[in-house]
Amino acid sequence: MGSTAVPAEVVRPQTHEVAVPELPWLVIVWNDPINLMTYVTYVFQKLFGYSREKAHKLMLDVHHKGRAVVSSGPKERAELDVARLHQHGLWATMEHGR
Amino acid sequence: MSLLRRIRPSKNGGYEVHLASEERSLLSVLPAHLVSLLDNVGETPQDELPDALQRLLPPAYTTDPDAERAYVSMTREDLVEHHRESLETMSVTAKATWLNDEQLAAWLAALNDLRLALGSMLGVTEEETEPPMGDAEQAEWIAYQYLGALQSELVDILERVLPDAVPGADDLVPDDYWGDPVGGLRWDGTPQPRDP
Repeated sequence: MGSTAVPAEVVRPQTHEVAVPELPWLVIVWNDPINLMTYVTYVFQKLFGYSREKAHKLMLDVHHKGRAVVSSGPKERAELDVARLHQHGLWATMEHGR
Repeated sequence: MSLLRRIRPSKNGGYEVHLASEERSLLSVLPAHLVSLLDNVGETPQDELPDALQRLLPPAYTTDPDAERAYVSMTREDLVEHHRESLETMSVTAKATWLNDEQLAAWLAALNDLRLALGSMLGVTEEETEPPMGDAEQAEWIAYQYLGALQSELVDILERVLPDAVPGADDLVPDDYWGDPVGGLRWDGTPQPRDP
């Protein structure tokens, strides 16, 4: 990862750094039959600072539609959000946005 | 109404706990069992874990095994420790008549962890009927129901002391990102049950 490359060497383009840089990562919470609906709403408020109404709406999306995107952003941010959701027992995954 | 609550805010801060000794015994013993299961998980992939642990240590990447391994390597230890601390706190404070804020937060997390473990072992589904089970699982089913009722009380209490919503937070992600229809698919590809 040294930044002072030896001139004779060909520096290969880091393809993963130039590919689709603008798409956000999406944090998805999936429906599950165990977590209480009130608990899921509470966790969304606590972790993301959402209003009760917003958190309730996202929870209902999870419940009725099977999944909801609950946050989005750079990969590191999304991984942190997923980890926090996992600490709260929610079924959270992440994927590159579309 | 408040007299019926078994856990309630105390006048001097913290929370009073009014539980029967049988309940306290359950809240002391169950976490210890789960903690012992967590002892040896290491970085075992989620789908190779025992049923009771699969929901406690979920995957972040379901279609990218390399990314998932990196995620587990980065987060697993902290996640296991988080579960362990909550469970141990509830276990050692199960006989307490008063809890501070941190202890009550640990109870909420521990109750959820226990329900995830029991619910997974029992094969709980979205439908509200009892799962098929033998006599040996009756006790687990009753414990699962009890823990849910107690957790529900805690959520009622704790949502009242949440900080105010962060201004603008609601606009950061749309309500319905994909415009999914009602009744989509679950994470594992099985149909999402419709609400009755």
